[in-house]
Amino acid sequence: MQLFFEQLLNGIAMGSIYALVTLGLALVYGILRILHVAHAAVYTVGAYAGLFCYSYTGSLLLAFLGGMIFCSILGVAIERLVYYPLLKYPPYVPLIGSIAIMLSIEEICRLVAGPYILTFPATLPFPEFQLGGVTISSTLTAVYVITTVVLGLLWFISTKTELGLAMRATSQDIPIADAMGINSHAIVSIAFVIGSSIAAIAGILVGIYYNQVYPTMGTVPAYKTLALIVVGGLGSMPGAVIASMLLGVAETLLIGYADIPLPRDALAFIAMIAVLMWRSEGLMGSK
Amino acid sequence: MKLTRKLALLLLIGLLVPGVAGAADTVKIGLLAPLTGFAAADGLSVLNSVQLAVERVNQDGGLLGRQVELVYYDDRADGKEAVALSRKLIQQDRVAGVVGGSYSTPSRAVAPIFEDEEIPFVAAYAVHPDVTTSGKYCFRNGFLGMVEGKSAGYVSVELLKAKKIALLTSDNDFGRTLAEGFKAYLGDQGKAAQIVFEQTYPFKEKDFKPYLSKVKETNPDLLFASGYYFQTGPIVQQARELGLDVQILGEEGADSPKFLEIAGASAEGFVIVTNLDRDDPRPVVQDFLKTFEQRYQIQPDMVGASAYDAFMIICDGIRRAGSTDGPAIQQAIAATKDYNGLTGVLKGFTDIGEVVKEVQVQIVKDGRFRHFGVVQDMTLITP
Repeated sequence: MQLFFEQLLNGIAMGSIYALVTLGLALVYGILRILHVAHAAVYTVGAYAGLFCYSYTGSLLLAFLGGMIFCSILGVAIERLVYYPLLKYPPYVPLIGSIAIMLSIEEICRLVAGPYILTFPATLPFPEFQLGGVTISSTLTAVYVITTVVLGLLWFISTKTELGLAMRATSQDIPIADAMGINSHAIVSIAFVIGSSIAAIAGILVGIYYNQVYPTMGTVPAYKTLALIVVGGLGSMPGAVIASMLLGVAETLLIGYADIPLPRDALAFIAMIAVLMWRSEGLMGSK
Repeated sequence: MKLTRKLALLLLIGLLVPGVAGAADTVKIGLLAPLTGFAAADGLSVLNSVQLAVERVNQDGGLLGRQVELVYYDDRADGKEAVALSRKLIQQDRVAGVVGGSYSTPSRAVAPIFEDEEIPFVAAYAVHPDVTTSGKYCFRNGFLGMVEGKSAGYVSVELLKAKKIALLTSDNDFGRTLAEGFKAYLGDQGKAAQIVFEQTYPFKEKDFKPYLSKVKETNPDLLFASGYYFQTGPIVQQARELGLDVQILGEEGADSPKFLEIAGASAEGFVIVTNLDRDDPRPVVQDFLKTFEQRYQIQPDMVGASAYDAFMIICDGIRRAGSTDGPAIQQAIAATKDYNGLTGVLKGFTDIGEVVKEVQVQIVKDGRFRHFGVVQDMTLITP
């Protein structure tokens, strides 16, 4: 039983991290209908920017802030300079553009910071818990708390504020939203700011959690998050969060209990194929 | 129009001049290494180390009265890329020998090409058996997975006195062969120690807690965790975080200063089997360690040291052959005996081109790899 709870707690932490990365992708898809593959590169840059701020200031708070600001700028730049001009073309054109950005950012990170894995020697200032023999380490607590706060804020913004209303309107129909007096271009940029900031938080969390920051850290998230937004329902943020949590827990429990010969990363794609076969709109999507 | 024509002409001259100037008065040796992509850190270490070797040789007067010139290309650890680059090394650069400073996949792909062209190819650290089976022109300076796996078994049972062993294996050729060698050794020993847990993990795994929680349940007294430093670093760190207080043994994949950085304080007491002994008093070792750290501000690692040796083995072959002719160099390298290398004294090469030398055992003490022991048993270290 103790093993089960340990595995469950690890699984929820994995799921939380997946959710943070996938959210930005779901947000962008919801508004622009673009598969923002380069989001995983923004996440990598977030980890680097956070590490840079941390090693200069020694403050984790400034690291998170710095990473979020830098990634917001990067996200908006990608949107303004690449996606917006390409919106008039079929969806595969911005997708190709996105892959190109992903690869370029990866190589730029390598050129700037070097190919070596950098370590992120920070400890997150959160308490450790003991629950009936199961230890919840401070990193796990940090992942839970930070994810909850981010998700709560995002829920508040999208349901309780005018900005959220404008974002939903823009995601439904840009011309109509414009006609209603919404500056849809600004709303799109705000969506990129929010998504990229969350990616930065995820990048820094992962960097500290595994004590590694390296140029290709976005490769696995780049394709796994694609599967996750399909499973959750393209463009649905609650769907993305639920799919991420389920996948995190399922992966961890499967490794922990069943000796499946499949690599863990395959599970996301099996889930994606299953969803496409039986419920093509995804867990929370609408037809 | 005029400007473009001028530019084109300049470009053409630029392309031709180095080719003409470098043609006759240097001995060219090729190097393939992954300088970009996921293996870029290893590639850089290889290139840095080989450049030290080139300087060394040229300071000592070069080869056959000529300076040595290194021609290196980035193969991205990719087979297709490496094949194209090997053609370039052969046809355009006309190299006398080639250092395989890359992973198994590209090294396996190019070995038959150098074999056909009768150009000696020395793989530095690639572990796949097929690299040397291409023919007599292909050599390897690193250990075969089987040799290293058996040595790891020996270290577990004889030096670390383990009785109950857990295996956590990296799911690729390298990891699986190591596990095979490890089990082969335990099988030979008539069950003095038993394996209580065995599992593979995928190559890009970052979260080892599910595996380690299971290891903890089986309560072993030794965990043999194979994999590269970016895998074993987190394994060691996360094991300690979970309160799994077991002796952990790794192999040459963990032989990197980056391992020490990632695992941090958890690294203390971690033991590896590898081919570089930091406490080896021979000047060739101590000079290299010192120069490397001074020059590049980072501690050297196993891949770099192995590539340094691979380059030196080719130079030694050319020197003894007295010519840059492929077949002559091949014979000289095949006849290598008790060569004083950076990664130990090379007893020589087997008929298929596998190196025979002692396996080094290192332990992490105060944040550095230090001498722990050595595997000298010829039945274990002869491939």
